Amino acid sequence: MTTTRTPFDIPAHASSDDPRVTLDEQLGVFEPIPPYPPRTEREAEFYTLRDGEMFVNMGPQHPSTHGVLRVVLKIDGEKVVDLDPVLGYLHRGVEKLCENADYHQAICYMDPLEYISSLFCEWSPVMAFEKLLDVQVPRRAEYIRVLSGELNRIASHALFMGWFALDLGGLTPILWSFIERDEIVEMLAALTGQRMLFNYFRIGGVNGDLNHEFMSRLGAWMSKATAHIDSNQALLNENEIFVRRARGLGVIDTATALQMCMTGPNLRATGVPFDIRRAHPYSIYPELDFDIPSRTEGDCLARYLLRMDEVRQSLRIIDQCLHQMPDGPVMAKLPRLIRPRPGRAYAAIEGPRGQYATYAISDGTDQPYRMRIHDPSFIHLQSVGLLTPGNLIADTMAIMASLDPIMGGVDK
Amino acid sequence: MDRALRRRLEARFGKVLTGPVRQRHDETEIRIGAGDVPEVLLALHDEPDFRFGLLSDLAGVDTGTSMQTVYHLWSDSSGDWLRVIADGLSRDDPRVPSVTFLWKGAEWMEREAYDMFGITFEGNRDLRRIYMPPDYASFPLRKDFFLADDASRSPAGGVRHMEQTHGPTNAEAGARIRQAPAS
Repeated sequence: MTTTRTPFDIPAHASSDDPRVTLDEQLGVFEPIPPYPPRTEREAEFYTLRDGEMFVNMGPQHPSTHGVLRVVLKIDGEKVVDLDPVLGYLHRGVEKLCENADYHQAICYMDPLEYISSLFCEWSPVMAFEKLLDVQVPRRAEYIRVLSGELNRIASHALFMGWFALDLGGLTPILWSFIERDEIVEMLAALTGQRMLFNYFRIGGVNGDLNHEFMSRLGAWMSKATAHIDSNQALLNENEIFVRRARGLGVIDTATALQMCMTGPNLRATGVPFDIRRAHPYSIYPELDFDIPSRTEGDCLARYLLRMDEVRQSLRIIDQCLHQMPDGPVMAKLPRLIRPRPGRAYAAIEGPRGQYATYAISDGTDQPYRMRIHDPSFIHLQSVGLLTPGNLIADTMAIMASLDPIMGGVDK
Repeated sequence: MDRALRRRLEARFGKVLTGPVRQRHDETEIRIGAGDVPEVLLALHDEPDFRFGLLSDLAGVDTGTSMQTVYHLWSDSSGDWLRVIADGLSRDDPRVPSVTFLWKGAEWMEREAYDMFGITFEGNRDLRRIYMPPDYASFPLRKDFFLADDASRSPAGGVRHMEQTHGPTNAEAGARIRQAPAS
């Protein structure tokens, strides 16, 4: 047990930011790894070593954690026995910030949550606020939302493909996938004015109509997108090293996936074709024709292949959007200062990682009373602890990458 | 709105509901006491009439006078989101049974609600702080926790160290705390 030196007049839990803690009476550093009294049963069990076992810290600056995540691995030789993810390195308290911002400002805080797929983070709060206000969104705005959203989904999946291969030790795919992603990101920059943190969706519509640069870039890209994506995927799908490494790794079955509250591609890879675009339709998705791909294996390879199938469906949706796009306004008529009547609203959408949801409570003022953000990365990262034990240390990264968590969303 | 779901809920859970079943847009809402959570959610999860197999979200809410935990569920038997509000937890010692026996994935969501509101989920085997450091003493999403730079509401005029907290709350006695709308 490490002894912590605490002067008498300073409470034991005082932070080192406390002005009463001067330099020469520093508090003892709080040990990040016990021995300190374990707080829960699970912690006591995890931090008890048996013969031959040891702890290894992976992160917080490990490149394969896709952000700032620390994973305490309990290993026996090269095998992972158990692991304990430690979160909070990127915690900004977005929910609290939203309670102190007005409804328009709150949307700005959503973008940096999952900076790979920002449009989806904006989409669910915007939908929840529209429900609170009983606003009807113009149809053209809905089409633009779906169009830009599906482009963002492709960009996100392209990056997933590169990262996943990178975490398995292949360097080339990420260079290739960045070609697609960069083109889409530039396209969305032409539309929204920003490359990553778009802040494009507004309560009641979108910020601006489609413009010439966006449309010409999109047209040029669409004509060769299918061929590009196919050749990118041929790089991995037919690579024996990649396929043999990913097949049968991190298998999860349907019942367990549902118990772990999984959604999105990770759930569909176990054989459940659950997609909120079909299961609980929103926006204009009921009018569009697309399939929900699903696979039954539930391993890393299935999760990878499923996302690649989704890219093709997204291309179909974009094509239909471009053909069916109606004319009209892109914003509903709303006052600048919004004060919804007291009430509660819940809105969920299907993002590239699963279900993004927002539960908003209004108390009649211009600031949300409570805004709960549900993020799929947070839910999926939890399953790493279930899938990894028994595998090698190097497989931890592979399994984590196949679940595709983004730490900005995990830590909120 | 799914009227049939409302009738089924009223018929099945009539006794344990603490308020009327409310419906708006594509949401159906029921209110129950904290002690009834495992029984009601187990019935919603298992019974062929309901089949709410997916826990879509679990959130804590501080209404200013009491605490709530809010569960959002999805089922293929209804076109609505079902919202279950476990109401009336005391603010001094909020306690509610855990639902990890049904959804193991609720473990982290409950840890988050514990971290942010101090709600104790009885039966969660790993209830410790998830975002804030282990030696942190406050619950940031409570309504009596004021942001450091929130000058308009902070009783100290907006100048205080964010982590200079000496108890479960940093609100001065008599501070104006935002209250949830009466429903």
